[in-house]
Amino acid sequence: MSEITRNLTQRISKFQDGKGTPSVDKKTQLILLAILIAVMAAYPFLPFVNNYWIDVGFFVGIYVLLGLSLNIILGEVGLFNLGQAAFYAIGAYTTGILYTQLQIPIIVLLPLSALIAGGFAFLVTSPIIHLRGDYLCIVTIGIGEIVRITALNNPFGLTKGANGITGIGNPDFGIFSITTPTQFYYYVWIIIGLVIIGLINLQKSRVGRAWNYIREDEIAAEANGIDVRHYKLLAFVIGTALAGAAGNIYGSKMMIISPANFTFMESCLIFVIVLLGGLGSIPGTLLGAAIIVIFPEIFRQFANYRLLFFGAALVIMMIFRPGGILPRRRERAGFRGLGISKLPEDENTLLKEVLDSGLSTARQPEAAQEPTLKTKAHVHPPPNGLVLETQRVTVQFGGLTAVSQFDLTIRENQITSLIGPNGAGKTTLFNVITGIYRPLSGKVIFMGEEITGLKPHQITTKGIARTFQNIRLFPSLTSIENVMSGPHCHATNGTIPSIMRSPGQQKEERHILETASFRLHQVGLWEYRNELARNLPYGKQKLLEIARALASSPKLIVLDEPSSGLNDKETEELMEFLTKLIAEGLTILLIEHDMNVVMGISDRVSVMDMGSRIAEDLPQNIYNNPRVIEAYLGKEE
Amino acid sequence: MKKTNAWLFAIVVSLALVLSSCAQPGAAPAGTIKIGLQAPLTGDFAAEGQWAKQSVEIAADLINKKGGILGKQVEIVIADDASNPKDSALAAQKLISQGLKQVIASYGSSVTAPAADLYDENKVVSVAYGSTAVRLTMEKQRPYFFRTCGRDDTQSEFFVKFVTEKLNAKRIAIMHDNQDYGKGVAEDAMKFLQPYIDSGQVEVVYYDAITPGESDYSAVVSQIKAINPDVWFFTAYYPEAALLLKQAREAGVTSVFVGNNSVPTPEFEKIAGLDAIKGSIHLNEPMPQFLNFPESREFLDAYKAKYNEIPGSIWSVYAADALNALAAAITKAGGTDPDKVANAMRTMTDAKGITGPLLFTERGDRKDIPYYAYIYNDQGVLELYWPK
Amino acid sequence: MQMLPEQLINGLIIGSFYALVAMGYSMVYGVMKLINFAHGDLFTLGSYLGYTILVFGAGWVTATFGIWGGVIVAVLGAMLGIGFAGLILERVAYQPVYRAGRLPLVVSALGASIFISNGIMAVWGPRFQAFPEVSIPTGSIVLFGDFRITTLKLVTILVSLGLMGLIYYLVERTLFGAAVRASALDRDTATLIGIDFRKIIRFVFFVGPSLGALAGVFVGLNYTRIIFTMGWTYGLKAFTAVILGGIGNIPGAMLGGIMLGIMEALFEGFVSGAWKNVFVFLILIVILIVRPTGLIGEKIAEKV
Repeated sequence: MSEITRNLTQRISKFQDGKGTPSVDKKTQLILLAILIAVMAAYPFLPFVNNYWIDVGFFVGIYVLLGLSLNIILGEVGLFNLGQAAFYAIGAYTTGILYTQLQIPIIVLLPLSALIAGGFAFLVTSPIIHLRGDYLCIVTIGIGEIVRITALNNPFGLTKGANGITGIGNPDFGIFSITTPTQFYYYVWIIIGLVIIGLINLQKSRVGRAWNYIREDEIAAEANGIDVRHYKLLAFVIGTALAGAAGNIYGSKMMIISPANFTFMESCLIFVIVLLGGLGSIPGTLLGAAIIVIFPEIFRQFANYRLLFFGAALVIMMIFRPGGILPRRRERAGFRGLGISKLPEDENTLLKEVLDSGLSTARQPEAAQEPTLKTKAHVHPPPNGLVLETQRVTVQFGGLTAVSQFDLTIRENQITSLIGPNGAGKTTLFNVITGIYRPLSGKVIFMGEEITGLKPHQITTKGIARTFQNIRLFPSLTSIENVMSGPHCHATNGTIPSIMRSPGQQKEERHILETASFRLHQVGLWEYRNELARNLPYGKQKLLEIARALASSPKLIVLDEPSSGLNDKETEELMEFLTKLIAEGLTILLIEHDMNVVMGISDRVSVMDMGSRIAEDLPQNIYNNPRVIEAYLGKEE
Repeated sequence: MKKTNAWLFAIVVSLALVLSSCAQPGAAPAGTIKIGLQAPLTGDFAAEGQWAKQSVEIAADLINKKGGILGKQVEIVIADDASNPKDSALAAQKLISQGLKQVIASYGSSVTAPAADLYDENKVVSVAYGSTAVRLTMEKQRPYFFRTCGRDDTQSEFFVKFVTEKLNAKRIAIMHDNQDYGKGVAEDAMKFLQPYIDSGQVEVVYYDAITPGESDYSAVVSQIKAINPDVWFFTAYYPEAALLLKQAREAGVTSVFVGNNSVPTPEFEKIAGLDAIKGSIHLNEPMPQFLNFPESREFLDAYKAKYNEIPGSIWSVYAADALNALAAAITKAGGTDPDKVANAMRTMTDAKGITGPLLFTERGDRKDIPYYAYIYNDQGVLELYWPK
Repeated sequence: MQMLPEQLINGLIIGSFYALVAMGYSMVYGVMKLINFAHGDLFTLGSYLGYTILVFGAGWVTATFGIWGGVIVAVLGAMLGIGFAGLILERVAYQPVYRAGRLPLVVSALGASIFISNGIMAVWGPRFQAFPEVSIPTGSIVLFGDFRITTLKLVTILVSLGLMGLIYYLVERTLFGAAVRASALDRDTATLIGIDFRKIIRFVFFVGPSLGALAGVFVGLNYTRIIFTMGWTYGLKAFTAVILGGIGNIPGAMLGGIMLGIMEALFEGFVSGAWKNVFVFLILIVILIVRPTGLIGEKIAEKV
């Protein structure tokens, strides 16, 4: 055990030396990148690189685009999509049909194919985006087959059936058109270059982080104010649009497309590219695509055995390097990896600036200085001093009543505790308040406004943040990235500004980072900022979850058994911390089993048993309430 | 530091790839003529690819034993197209990059098409051996493209002639597999049947596709049984033909089964079994075993001596004939200059192949491919049926 | 109007193959939460194993036990062989990857699938193989009207339904079955109450592939023709059946398989063969929109 702790502290100390970012690495990386680009640019002119190898380079490019397209869906968001070939096909067929029927130039069709592929994806995935992993997987396989067979069946004479569409033209820029293998090679790789720049910007923005939050833990993401459905659809649309563009380029190179190009095997190949390279890793996708295309080419001599080797290689690879060949290493990049420009070289300087600027008071309504992250909840004081009210809330699971006619009132700037025996329905009530369950009847009123039936992310945006009974962090993201999910719901910059890195977007990103830094420091985890959440010890994970909830600038924070699993000293510190939050103007709702905590810090206590409220009173009165004693100790016979 | 290693690894890999491309063979040594063969050695039609490779190698041996072409030995350079359009383009580019001027390519029309375009652009004479789609020669002129096999419409036209003149069938079922070849034949058959349909002489009582690659076709067999057509024309490949016929006969379907030129293979006989194949009719160009040209006997003997069987399909024989045609054309042209060879292909009059005279039209189609209907007799042996 | 019952029986036959293969997928998924992509290829391997037994043993087995004796030997041999192949697959390709999470496991499964199918090609060749005619039982009976069904098909249906019944009984009605189901529901709790999880894994990786092998041999016997790629086709359909019924749920897999077979037969028989698979997948998607966890999949409320 001590071995692990020592190891951890050693690793963390690397980031504590004031720099946090290993800058030597950055230099080497840049040099290597420059060499790679130079080799790529010179490739067609290298001795012995004939047209065949240039074409191989082109097809690597096509698969890089396809890999990048699926990487958004599978790598960034973790959605199993084994039907990417369908969208590739839609792009190719859009190009083929519109070029041959209407003579629209290929270059115009490039964005159009992307648009139609993305639009198609939006239509077909909207009704099924909520499906769980494997169900979504089979549906995407189905979409792949439906598209392929439809193309085969030549509806309205458009797709020309199995023959495919012939006579697709070359990309023509007016002054020159792209025809030779070398021109196509540069054409596809220049497009890839632009796409990669856009994707890296997207990856390092709130959009990219939102995708990662969903991949890591969908429920926690939703509860932290991420509109999960929106971001899943967004990933599908962007990812498939890219595949559609790849279809356009492929069609214009081959001049002929047929359903044989878009089989299930093709989807599997794209899937393997992403996993081979490493989920969410752009360099990994490049390498994965190169391997998938070049490996069979090199081993063509062993025609009968090459796929045998390939299969074995996949298995061996997953045994020894399951994260892919070039996984994305967030913890090494430090704040620099967040993609915000003009950050101070030293991360501690940033923290100092934040603390000095008085952001510490930003969460208080009167002092809210940063308009971008301000919530409405802070502006209007609640009527009657009631922050939250549940009115006769009832929840049933298959005929079993978990919460019955429950009334709860939470006053501003107080700590209210909800206690009760195990299975009393406390967590269920929490889930109703935070929107995860919809009550059968009854109302939830927050700041005078009914929020019953709103989605969790909408409720978080309105100003209720929560933690979970079993910690639900985003395990393979760094601590700072975890906390940066908090301010997400108040930020406004979407896909386009993120890709362009507009000044407004940069300002907002910096503000998200500042808010997160402040909260991380506040719970005492600043030194762990670049450590992956899953590597933190249990107690620190609990604190991180609280910091994440606080970072959404809530009015009310709902904590589900915050002291469970903490030792006495840690519990003591927690109580002190919660009291401080009250001093800062927050309102707290607690589920707690530790009576010392409950009695020590609560302003009011509500007692729940068998789903019903049996008491709501001041702590000292609860002690002597006979019904409470009965619920906890059983009735005296 | 690990990240650096990963980047280094990436660079090493890309450099290795660049270097491996240097391992390509250089210029042809003097004294040989290199001819390319693009075939599906892997993928769905791997068997066809292997047969084509074996047949072409046998044909090359025979040429070399007789002193080669213009006194030079023939060397076959093989590229695998995996029966897939993308790999086909790559295979073609590979052969082109090796400086070949004549290639045999390939099996399957949608696989051949992208390769044919590339060969044509690079002035490489290509001869297809298993690509029968009409559009390959009729949609646009490819000056360097030829084929030794027939065209879908020739076969379909023969089918219509056969059912109307010989079988006098009235109710006809046409079934394809939604793939390039089968659908092409089926569509052309419909086209040639149209006048007869209009005049009320025949009626097409079924026209649909089955899904290739499955095993159980009882649903469609039940349908055929209920419709009970006079003639049931299946236009696609033998694996499905065998299953359909077997299951239909088991279910008691008695319609006359007519298959196309890709059906009667040893595999077909083995899968369907003797009971099923008896009395089934297959439309074919003259089949190897019925050919009485000296060239065909010589080729089949050599093939049998080496592989202990005859080629599994007619297409591989066309591949061998593609080599024979190229050899004759190079001899006539006096060299491998593609323009001269292409010209010689169009104008040669006395080239003899395994499947008969090797004559080509201006657009590159094989001239005068006769068609015959063959029938399996009670012993499961093919016999000539019509025209005798 | 005998088309309808005829097509229903056609569907039942193909459906029982789907169901047999689907059960293997579902068992493994239930316990491991893994889509065993290699399962379809184990099915193919089973078919080839049965083929090899018949080719090399056809003479004396058939001479000694009669034609059905040969069939039984081939079926049992293939089931046993593929059961062990399943165990080896789990040990070599999956067990070392469990800790890495679900996605690497899926890739490993894809790799294993490619390896097995191409291994079959390397050993038995890329061409179609035909089960030897002498070892295939012949004979047929008229069920109704002029609807004729081979004795073999009848046996296929009966054996499949019988085995499905047996597995259903085993999983739903015995203590060991309860252990399997418990492991499927919650691995940690199952381990806590003393269930040997490794044993459960071995069970599903033996029984699932054996059922696939059984289906494989019967496919070979019924349709004669086998090829190394056929695992893809059957695997995809069987997996669709699993999802249709509700993944991880063994009765669901049976129901899904048989329903899928019948839907296919009816659509192909009465509407169009060319659009059959489009129809199948559309129905699947519609069912999943209405019931996101399959026909008899239980609603899973994630504990928060």
